[in-house]
Amino acid sequence: MLLTPQSVELLAPVGTWDVLEAAIGAGADAVYLGGKRFNMRLHRTDTNFDDEKLARAVKYAHAHNVRLYVTVNNLISEQELPGMREYLKLLNQIQPDSLIIQDLATLQLARDMNITVPLHASVMMNTHNEHSIKALMDYGVTRIVANRELTLTQLTLLKQRTGIELEYFVHGDMCVAHSGQCYHSGIVFGQSSNRGRCLKPCRWPYQLVDTTTGQTVAANDRGPYKLAMKDMCMYSALPQLIQSGVCSFKIEGRMRTADFVSRIVKVYRRAIDRYIADPAGYTLDMADWQELSEYRTRDLSTCFALGNPGASSIGYTGEREPRFFSQAVKEASVAAAISLSPVTVTRTKSPNPANRPRPQLAVRVACPDSLTSALQNGATIAFIGGEAFKPNKPWTLTDLAAAVSEANNYQAKVIVTTPRITMEREIGEAEQFFNSLESVKPHGVMVSNSGMLRLAQQTINIPIQTDFSFNLFNHHTAAWLKANGASKATISPEATYEQIAELVKNSPLPLEMIVHGAIEAMVLDHCVPSAVLEGTATYPCHHLCSEKHYSLLDSAGERHDIAIDQYCRNHILFAKDLCLLPHLPALMSADINHYRIEGQHYTPKLVGLITALYRTELDKLAAGDNYTFDKTCMNRLTDASPRSLGIGAFRYRISR
Amino acid sequence: MAGINPAHVENVIKNNHRGVIHLHQIGILQLTQNLDDAVRGFKAGLAEAGLTANFHYLNADGAVSDLPQLAEKLANQTVELIFACSTPAAQAAIQLAGTIPVVFTPVFDPVGAKLTQSMDKPGGKATGVAGMVPAAAKVDFIRELLPSAQTIGILYHTGDSNALLEVSNFKQAASTVFTLIDLPVDQAEDLSALPDKLPANLDALFLPIGRVIEENFASVAYYAEAANLPIITSHAPNVPSGALGALVANHYQLGLTCSVKAAQILAGTQPETIPVGLVDNPEILLNAFVAANLGIELPLTLLAKAAEVFE
Repeated sequence: MLLTPQSVELLAPVGTWDVLEAAIGAGADAVYLGGKRFNMRLHRTDTNFDDEKLARAVKYAHAHNVRLYVTVNNLISEQELPGMREYLKLLNQIQPDSLIIQDLATLQLARDMNITVPLHASVMMNTHNEHSIKALMDYGVTRIVANRELTLTQLTLLKQRTGIELEYFVHGDMCVAHSGQCYHSGIVFGQSSNRGRCLKPCRWPYQLVDTTTGQTVAANDRGPYKLAMKDMCMYSALPQLIQSGVCSFKIEGRMRTADFVSRIVKVYRRAIDRYIADPAGYTLDMADWQELSEYRTRDLSTCFALGNPGASSIGYTGEREPRFFSQAVKEASVAAAISLSPVTVTRTKSPNPANRPRPQLAVRVACPDSLTSALQNGATIAFIGGEAFKPNKPWTLTDLAAAVSEANNYQAKVIVTTPRITMEREIGEAEQFFNSLESVKPHGVMVSNSGMLRLAQQTINIPIQTDFSFNLFNHHTAAWLKANGASKATISPEATYEQIAELVKNSPLPLEMIVHGAIEAMVLDHCVPSAVLEGTATYPCHHLCSEKHYSLLDSAGERHDIAIDQYCRNHILFAKDLCLLPHLPALMSADINHYRIEGQHYTPKLVGLITALYRTELDKLAAGDNYTFDKTCMNRLTDASPRSLGIGAFRYRISR
Repeated sequence: MAGINPAHVENVIKNNHRGVIHLHQIGILQLTQNLDDAVRGFKAGLAEAGLTANFHYLNADGAVSDLPQLAEKLANQTVELIFACSTPAAQAAIQLAGTIPVVFTPVFDPVGAKLTQSMDKPGGKATGVAGMVPAAAKVDFIRELLPSAQTIGILYHTGDSNALLEVSNFKQAASTVFTLIDLPVDQAEDLSALPDKLPANLDALFLPIGRVIEENFASVAYYAEAANLPIITSHAPNVPSGALGALVANHYQLGLTCSVKAAQILAGTQPETIPVGLVDNPEILLNAFVAANLGIELPLTLLAKAAEVFE
């Protein structure tokens, strides 16, 4: 396709009015900014636009023939829904050129409220496969801000397969973890990166240690900042970027100054214009390249755009970190639990607690022995499949069929799961897998992203559950999931007790809650051990993970185990496993009837112990009379667990 | 706003007499946009005094090492005066060759930072308004906010000269009122082990100014909450992020007061004779959400006086 000046949009970040004028003056085609509410940059009170200023900014941008996008990329709690409706109404009146959204609820709200402003899917939606894109297009999304883990080649493929407009971060600060799937800040500090309040645990210093011995393994340590991504800079690869079919080049930095933004916009503007005027005659402008480099914050990298960058994308020394937002802390232990006063629930479904159905207990397991152990000890549902963390092997079709027949013996259900991140390889495998399910006959499937939900709905005819990765925070999201084929959903691990109680009351879907197990703080396409020990990316990979288990040790002495799956993704676990056993009475009083144990990082024996403990307590509670919690079982649990036990987001009254 | 300043009047008269508006060239050297309220106050004050100016605003965006280069750039633009926000910005501005006058704020220790010889007689090319709230006022504030508090831990970064100065001032003002416990931190990572340092009998934490503690405040707040400890901070943005309260200078007001000194200089007064101003009306910030979590009732008298109460 021939290039025209309209083929590419240069999109600049704006935090204040000064920056708005500067970005437009420097030649931005479009700008994006947030209001005072519901956006991803809420730490700074002096940035972002109030309602009146937003309206003026739209007028100002339009008067200069510049498009203006408003970020509404935040998860919405139940209590915030009325505020979000009001805000959408206002935005529809002032008519910016798009709303950049995150929560699936916004899709539903926008449809219900006849919002005429086009919708763009924020990078926080973690959109990385064509089925997700199609699911979003069904709701009027006209553009996606693509995952930062996608390469230009993958972007071209997505563009060809869906025809959607693609926006990509080309310059600035990056996350090392998959966007919208990082729970570290939210669970530890009660300030969620999915709600604009990230305190950046990825910028903490860490040691890489052998999980078994606890000893440091990096002989020639490159430096302690093992997760500190360098800044993205696509300037040197601009021709490839333009030819990839990405239409909007996004500069990161809504808290940056006018000088900073204007400098970057000018440099990219000149390069884009020169390239489009004469692509074959284009050369890199060394002076401009020098300028970008001279005024850089961190060192620069093309990140994933040209392939997995491995160690080259990490600033190990921390020398160029502009500032820090927190230091590592000891995660909240079970002892730190605040006492939860059971909420008052207006019971509509089960007026008498004694008459309620037996609480469901689901257990996710990694191997056939663990499955047996869970079923023997009272699990009513077992989740199997999806990511296989080394040294476990993926479940074969034969294993799965055997698991289903075993569960049938216990009148229990087997639900097969699919990976959280599904790019082309995983999608290709999933299509084939779904086709094979007729012979396996599982009782259901659990999916982890909107693309897999759509694929499952279209190709198989068994109940579909959605996993925690959908970041379910409010009942409109549950309604969206239901409308798109889900029959059960999982609550976000960042939600606190108060928030869960409110959500369960209003949800149109049965909701499951994770109450025990190893919880993933981050999921990375970056392989930490390979990068630290060998300076490589996933390719070439010397399979370090087949010999040893690795962990990251932080300055508070907390050990974060790295679980590596069959796709080489690194799943960084919290130092403490979640344990809400003492809180079951409060959860039952909030009408939660579906409980889950994440047992895939446990031995079969431990899976059995935990399943039995939860089964016993839940049955005692369901029986209804004079429940007392046997505190000695906490000691047994603590002694048997590979990590110490904590309470996750339940440390907080409200997750912010 | 201070009363009518003779220099303002003089300027207004001068401008009117000329029949033309004299356009001043004023440089602004900013360390971070966090301090831009001071710039707004400064500009508003000059406008109110009838002065028109072309402002050359340069912001280092937190990069202290860029400041000398940016100051040089302002000098090349032949500005008549530099308004420098923060100690490193002021230092970069006075280190310029030549005689460009400097008006600074919110510098905590102008004498210690070698910007002036004394507060009353600066003696060089710089004057301004010091941003440190007097320690005695902070002590009174803590007593009013936490009437039963007896033992206060002072958590500060040992590598920060401003922090050390405030610690010493605070100790002087508070030693007869509270039992004070020193909680020095040598590097940011030390905050990870904060619980090991906190004595059991502590009633509150006081945080003097200082970048390392301010930036990593989330970790301090995390541990303080777990220990049920209220935090009194010196950095306004820490209040909405989890401190119970603060008594801080209003940056807009500091800028406004600086504009009076700038107007005097533009009217011909030498900066060496213009005394450095002090914070005279610090404002109270409170966090009601934190108070509720800690089970503390915020005194009505303070609520009435507070400039902002965060929910």
